[in-house]
Amino acid sequence: MMTSHPIEMRLRETAEALLRDRKVNLFLGYEKAPLPFRTAPLFITAAEEVERLVWNPFCTLNLAVYLPRLFAISAGARKAKAPPPLPTVGMVVKGCDARSVAVLIQEHQAPREKLVLVGVACQGMVDRRKAERALDAHEALGAGEDMQGNVHVVAEDGTEIILPREEIITDACLECRSPTPSIHDMLLGAPVEAKDTGAARRRTSEFESKPFDGRWAHFQEALSKCIRCNACRAACPMCYCKDCLLDQTRPRWVGAGADISDVTFYHLTRAFHLAGRCTGCGACARACPMGIDTRLLMRKLSLEVEALYGYRPGEMIDATPPLSAFSMDDSQAFLTEP
Amino acid sequence: MREKQLSDANLDSFLDRLRGMGEVYAPIRDPAGDVVLAEATPGKSIVLEYSNFPQSAKPFFLPQTQTLLGFRDGRAEDPSLPDRETFLFGVRPCDARALLALDKVFLDGDLNDPYYARLRAKTAVIALACARPMVSCFCTSVGGGPADPAGADLLAVRLEADLLLTAQTPRGEELLSSAADLFTDATPAAVKETAEQIHAAEEQIAPVQVSGSAQRLRDAYSSPLWETASQKCLGCGTCSFLCPTCHCFDMADEVRSGAGRRIRTWDCCAYPLFTLHASGHNPRPTPKERWRQRIMHKFRYAVENFDLLFCVGCGRCIRYCPVSMDLRTVLKEV
Amino acid sequence: MGQTQTAQETRSAQAWEPKVVAFLCNWCSYAGADLAGVSRIQYPPNVRIVRVPCSGRINPAFLLRALQNGADAVLVSGCHPGDCHYIRGNLVARRKFALLKELLQYAGIEPERVQFTWVSASEGGRFAAIIAKVVEQVRELGPNRKLVKTP
Repeated sequence: MMTSHPIEMRLRETAEALLRDRKVNLFLGYEKAPLPFRTAPLFITAAEEVERLVWNPFCTLNLAVYLPRLFAISAGARKAKAPPPLPTVGMVVKGCDARSVAVLIQEHQAPREKLVLVGVACQGMVDRRKAERALDAHEALGAGEDMQGNVHVVAEDGTEIILPREEIITDACLECRSPTPSIHDMLLGAPVEAKDTGAARRRTSEFESKPFDGRWAHFQEALSKCIRCNACRAACPMCYCKDCLLDQTRPRWVGAGADISDVTFYHLTRAFHLAGRCTGCGACARACPMGIDTRLLMRKLSLEVEALYGYRPGEMIDATPPLSAFSMDDSQAFLTEP
Repeated sequence: MREKQLSDANLDSFLDRLRGMGEVYAPIRDPAGDVVLAEATPGKSIVLEYSNFPQSAKPFFLPQTQTLLGFRDGRAEDPSLPDRETFLFGVRPCDARALLALDKVFLDGDLNDPYYARLRAKTAVIALACARPMVSCFCTSVGGGPADPAGADLLAVRLEADLLLTAQTPRGEELLSSAADLFTDATPAAVKETAEQIHAAEEQIAPVQVSGSAQRLRDAYSSPLWETASQKCLGCGTCSFLCPTCHCFDMADEVRSGAGRRIRTWDCCAYPLFTLHASGHNPRPTPKERWRQRIMHKFRYAVENFDLLFCVGCGRCIRYCPVSMDLRTVLKEV
Repeated sequence: MGQTQTAQETRSAQAWEPKVVAFLCNWCSYAGADLAGVSRIQYPPNVRIVRVPCSGRINPAFLLRALQNGADAVLVSGCHPGDCHYIRGNLVARRKFALLKELLQYAGIEPERVQFTWVSASEGGRFAAIIAKVVEQVRELGPNRKLVKTP
């Protein structure tokens, strides 16, 4: 495994050139965050600011989540004779981010010609919870990357600990099938092969092989910690509806409280609204303050969409989203006959 | 204040005495590996080495979902207010101190919230001082500290093999006397060790410039810093929901077949919907106005209205924010 | 107190009968159900029908809400593919239904509680047979307790 340093340098050079030559109005990337195992999203508009850009194992966040708001046109502006010009946005994308960007392009939330995608083939990003658990009683004061791409931690008592990257990358990274960005305008670093293309399938098969009666109990247990903060939805690049069904009050589809029935309704509905759209980036699970694996249901639906309709979101920006299309010989296995 | 000592061996017995009087919640490791404040039924092992729980003690006083009243066939029914005593053991001083802020909102003057008041009256807080603060902690900069007693009935400090306890309220005194046979008077050595431990913990906390923030925030209302600081906010609600002093709520009626209930649920000022008017107008239309309001509320309006900061420096908003927003940076910039 | 009882109280007072909520498209399935009635074909009275213009109108939230409110099972029926009054409403819905059934089954809701079918306006007998089948299956499963919201 190589370190990120050469990529970081090239990223800064690329961003600087784009901004200086006015090829983009805004560049979206990552910068150092105050706490270890994290980075913060960075919005820069001037070439001088590129020194703040970083590339390291903590660039976990899916930046595609900002695109709908960057390209949003207010209703008033849309009616105007000359609507304001859309910005050209440069951004760094990993494999998962690129998939999300592709779906947003398909759904007309971001115009392809207004994006400059600087792709980086990704080795897998660190899940801060896994890293914190691996440290056990220690607390990290600082964390960086060593020459092998592993995470080097300095603990509160001065101890230095090496955490092998493989052991602390996010679940979504372990299941990622396209670490090399499927769409990009340039690619930094050599393409990376997917580690384990069957990981998600195995997890769902394993779950399905257990007795049916245990399934509901398992989900209720997993969802019981949910406090309805909606962080999963806010972090998801695909959840951009201004008037989300789950917030509506006329009629009120789902109660606002943490009643387990409403919690289950929320997660089932959100999963279904992401059918054929969820790119498996894992932003939802990482945003959840209670540590719930919010991808339990998405994982299954993605596999079903692939099995039934041969479609994987984020790989082809020209494809029609599967739930907006149909075929005369779509599967009817689900039907009831007398 | 008489300091008492409780040996680790007697801790379970003390919790047993409390169990005889009500429900006991203590730090317990959950299946996922996190230490949470969970019901300490007999046999559950209590954890005494932890930083802080992901969730504050707030749900015990202001639950995420709370029934305010029921109604059936056109008649309202008052809900039965909780009657059982609750004992919270292991609450960190920052989370205990937050109760002062919640008291200002829910208990002051004529506007007494009976639901909050009842829970407050029925819940005893046994705080456990911090020996090792986290890098995200800044309690000392907002009027608190790793062994600050505010909001607690009893303050416990962990020593080698015992706990040093001091009563902070009459209820705390009662708890000590109810199990007097389990305690011994604290030795001078223990008292000294406690003071040293607390001092060492205080030293570990990096200070944040907070004093005078109310005035500075007033002056900085139109500053461009709010735009840049808020750009990355996702409006996810994590900060408010985990914050021990955040208290904004929404109300809704849930009706079915002529009967129903009115509930109160947590809300968050970072949500766009929070200030959305029925007309479609939103006085806080972008993350900038919402983030600015959040900081203003905690560090300026609360000070102006209640002479109290609505932040206890627990650091949860910093640790759990998916995009690493850090209000310490904003306070510094201001 | 008033004379009224909540639906729940009424239910528990008598022996339990399955409660099936059926969403029927106006042009085919609802007409088919109507034909069953007109033809005096007997079928279990346990079904409550909700008429929708087209099976494409079905929002998964309808099914979840029905289960939350105490339905023991939900049935959705539309025109046969190719016969939709709105040309392709049921074709788009077909994909949604396939995925919804998989999702709910994966989550642990018994597949017999969430069923889909096509019934045309001339298929009164078929409608009655399907209702009978669904009701029997649900009777065997017992009352639905999953997702039910206690007010």
